[in-house]
Amino acid sequence: MSCSKFETDIALYAGGDLPAGRIARIEWHLAECADCRTLVEELRSGQGLLGELRDDPIADALVAQVRQRVLAEVRHTTLTWGAGWRPRGALAPLLALAAALILAVVLWWPRHEAKQARIAQVEPEHATPIAPAPRPKLVPAKHRVVRHHHAPAAQPGPPLLVQFVTDNPNIVVYWLVDQKPQGD
Amino acid sequence: MAAYPRENSGDLAAFERIMSQCERRVLRVALRLLNNPQDAQDAAQEVFLRLYKHFGDLDETRGYEPWLYRVTVNVCRDIARGRRRSIGLAEAPDPVSPQPDAYHDAERAQQREIVRLGLSCLGEKERAALVLRDVEGLSTREVAGILGSSENTVRSQICSARLKLRDFTGRLLRRRS
Repeated sequence: MSCSKFETDIALYAGGDLPAGRIARIEWHLAECADCRTLVEELRSGQGLLGELRDDPIADALVAQVRQRVLAEVRHTTLTWGAGWRPRGALAPLLALAAALILAVVLWWPRHEAKQARIAQVEPEHATPIAPAPRPKLVPAKHRVVRHHHAPAAQPGPPLLVQFVTDNPNIVVYWLVDQKPQGD
Repeated sequence: MAAYPRENSGDLAAFERIMSQCERRVLRVALRLLNNPQDAQDAAQEVFLRLYKHFGDLDETRGYEPWLYRVTVNVCRDIARGRRRSIGLAEAPDPVSPQPDAYHDAERAQQREIVRLGLSCLGEKERAALVLRDVEGLSTREVAGILGSSENTVRSQICSARLKLRDFTGRLLRRRS
């Protein structure tokens, strides 16, 4: 068929599925091609028959059997689960989380108890007194007071920076002290 | 997580109401897709059991129809793959004896029978697209949403299906005459 390149668009055109931009081209071709007009008629006739299938009567017995089977299954499922309350909607994840937490505690607790018992057994035999670490000795000799600047009267003075030097050169203690307002 | 409707509650009544509203439509689509009443019944049963299972999760403001169509197509696809009932174009029997039909026009009834047969000879995806578009009368966009495809893909499938169906019906009608 010489018009085969139009077939695809004609099949869409016949069912009203052709995008608007391609309709003019097809209608122009249909105006001068009797074979393609016949194709459109045949396709529309087929569509009419397909549409009639929608009105096909469905036997009541067929429908009733399906309903009966579904409801029987539903009742069986409900009875299996129990007819009472069942988690649904947003509550279900919360319940799942709570269940997971309870499970985790139940699994963790015996291991924790066993560990505590092992520690209690080991401690009396091997426990050696541990001498407390010597506290670094504070030496107030190098007591430096740094005054940043003089504040005006009746204004709280700037904080004092007090530096304590210990025996351990790695440990220096800085202490910021607020001053009372001067001029009271 | 599935939320089952509760027995003795409004949920179960609502489920039964939706089922009674949609059961014929689901059965009709299943019949067109599977071309076998027993398979269609099995499919419809499975669809409604899935509806029951997910009833509490579905947004009723959006309507149940798109969900039901989608599940029907998926269930029918699984059943068809499992039972391999599809028949090839060459093996299609002659529609010599149309089934009793509500329509009195015997010729029209026979043409419909040929179209039914033609549908069963289409490929799975083309058949689903054509049934939803031309039998159920859904828009291309709705069909694309149900089948999880693009609109262009659906257009391509229904175009191909319409042409194949037209060839099939033409061939059988010529053979008859």
